[in-house]
Amino acid sequence: MVRAKASLAGIATSFGRVSATAFGGGQLAAIRREVVRLNHWVDEETFLELLALAQLLPGSNPTNVAVLIGSRLRGFAGATVALSAVVLPGFVILMILGIFALQSHQPWVGGALRGCAAMAVGLTLANAIEMTAKRINAIDIAIISAVAVAVLVLHASLALTLAIFIPVALVLTRGKNDAV
Amino acid sequence: MTLGRLAILFTVLSLLGFGGGNAIIPQMHSDVVEHYHWITSAEFTRFFGLAKLAPGPTTTMAALVGYAVAGVAGAIVATIAVFVPAGILVYTIGHGWTRLRGNPWRERFSRAIKPVVLGLIWAGVVTLARGAIDGPATIAIAIAATIILLRTEWNQALLVLGAGVVGAFVLR
Repeated sequence: MVRAKASLAGIATSFGRVSATAFGGGQLAAIRREVVRLNHWVDEETFLELLALAQLLPGSNPTNVAVLIGSRLRGFAGATVALSAVVLPGFVILMILGIFALQSHQPWVGGALRGCAAMAVGLTLANAIEMTAKRINAIDIAIISAVAVAVLVLHASLALTLAIFIPVALVLTRGKNDAV
Repeated sequence: MTLGRLAILFTVLSLLGFGGGNAIIPQMHSDVVEHYHWITSAEFTRFFGLAKLAPGPTTTMAALVGYAVAGVAGAIVATIAVFVPAGILVYTIGHGWTRLRGNPWRERFSRAIKPVVLGLIWAGVVTLARGAIDGPATIAIAIAATIILLRTEWNQALLVLGAGVVGAFVLR
């Protein structure tokens, strides 16, 4: 249910603020804060439902949520404004950082980039461990391992991996409750 | 033509990107590093690290790949390609969503896709590690990051910034 009237400028401001200030995994929480708590544009239940849909569909989760909420609030224009606002400030900041880092030949810049890259490996590893810890059962572990082997060892493409393993997983997880 | 290749590559990646940004890492690496040789494996992980350092969706790292390949025009094309087609798809499906509510296939699909996405995410961890882990210092940073993230609520971007500062002194 849509609770309060949202202007396009308001949508741009809220999602722009998220893009400019919220990092990585923190973005979904930041969007929830803007649209549910600060502006009362949608209620908690609607937000969770749109989030579930955003995670189910292909594409980056924060941008998917932005499109769905913008569309609920102000139709196509709202979706367009929300998507642009959630991408543009982050894009500009990343480009400035990237151009500086790529053009610099200072050794400390190279060192800093290597440090950030090593940290990013840790971020994804911790994320993978946390998500896997919720699904310690034979079927999930078998599917996770088979997919990882297909991609890393057999160099299966993403399209082929999805085409093979989604049907396999649909069969194997039939009647199994979600662990989460 | 390079811009056309960038556009097609990132459009396909985003439309196959079930499970969000981290699940497309192995395929993006395979395309831009192994197939087209636009950037090296080390650059790939550094771009990913920069995207974690900057605010905004991590998938915006497509902009850096585009920039490395074809300058500012490449950055803009890659960014539009990675966000707009998926956005249109989500917009279209979002409209029919209320009719899908309660449909058992929605639940089935949602359940089945989770371990598949996790397999892709684990493959992404290995892919990124191959480009970033090259000695004791980088191993130490990655392990410290993992432990801190699993045990605390510290801000991710500040951790990446901290690792950058450590790297500027230790890894130069």
